[in-house]
Amino acid sequence: MGREVSESCVDSLLTEMVSSYCDRFYANKPDLAARRIEAIGFQVGLQLSERYTMERPRFSDHLEAIKFICKDFWSELFKKQIDNLKTNHRGTFVLQDNRFRWLARMSVDPSPENGDLSQDNPPAENKAAQATSMHLYFPCGIIRGALSNLGIPCAVTADISNLPACSFVVRIKA
Amino acid sequence: MIVCVAVVGHQNNPLYIQSFTEADDALKLHHIVHCSLDVVDERVNNPKKSGPTLNETFLGLLYPTENYKVYGYLTNTKVKFILVTTDLDVRDADVRNFFRRFHAAYVDAVSNPFHVPGKKITSRTFAERVSTIVKSFGSSSAG
Repeated sequence: MGREVSESCVDSLLTEMVSSYCDRFYANKPDLAARRIEAIGFQVGLQLSERYTMERPRFSDHLEAIKFICKDFWSELFKKQIDNLKTNHRGTFVLQDNRFRWLARMSVDPSPENGDLSQDNPPAENKAAQATSMHLYFPCGIIRGALSNLGIPCAVTADISNLPACSFVVRIKA
Repeated sequence: MIVCVAVVGHQNNPLYIQSFTEADDALKLHHIVHCSLDVVDERVNNPKKSGPTLNETFLGLLYPTENYKVYGYLTNTKVKFILVTTDLDVRDADVRNFFRRFHAAYVDAVSNPFHVPGKKITSRTFAERVSTIVKSFGSSSAG
């Protein structure tokens, strides 16, 4: 009980996992790499939700389970709660984290020819956004795994507006 | 004395079932466990019966038979734990305590990265831990 995990190790492991899958195992198939990373997250979420729901009464509805993810589950993982939760009351939830820990150390690669050509900038930015979004498949998988284990099948996508803020969109399958 | 414990998945698929008797009555015990699943469903779908203990993981005494008492526990992840005991005066606190420790053992077992979710639990460590918990249940209720 009460075993500790080094935070920087987890950060490094995550970065290394993403780069291994994207650059080595499935270098030319980003979709497949994304699916694999998401699947790892799914299993992690499955197991974590089993552990973190141990001492609590069962959830009576979807909102309660989502609230659990926002509060207790997020606190266990990132030592903070989700900053904002929105819902349309029809099965879509948006969980916003203003300072997502796994993106906090992320920076956009300053390309050397940043200054001379303005039309070079959009592709570079695009590439950086793609690399960042690769890192979000793992947490998406964690959320999907946790909710699935609680009996809520859903699809989770992530959305980066401005680093390190990040929002996860949960769509519950009817 | 606990004669049988079982872990049943959310689709009523058996994940782990173990009897602790010398006699060759495993089939009978499995039958009792099987019957108790209906009682679990009934308890969960008619929550007004349970009253103040709404949505609690511990479901209490499911049904008494002539020789056995059957207790149930339902986790948040819809996994059922069933306990069959021959003791006729069992204290609720003992059973709760048993299920708490059993749940901890279960969580540790399924957190094994080599365990496939939804498949039977084959871990030997889990089996050993369960039999320790089962043995200590007898002694704690005696003392």
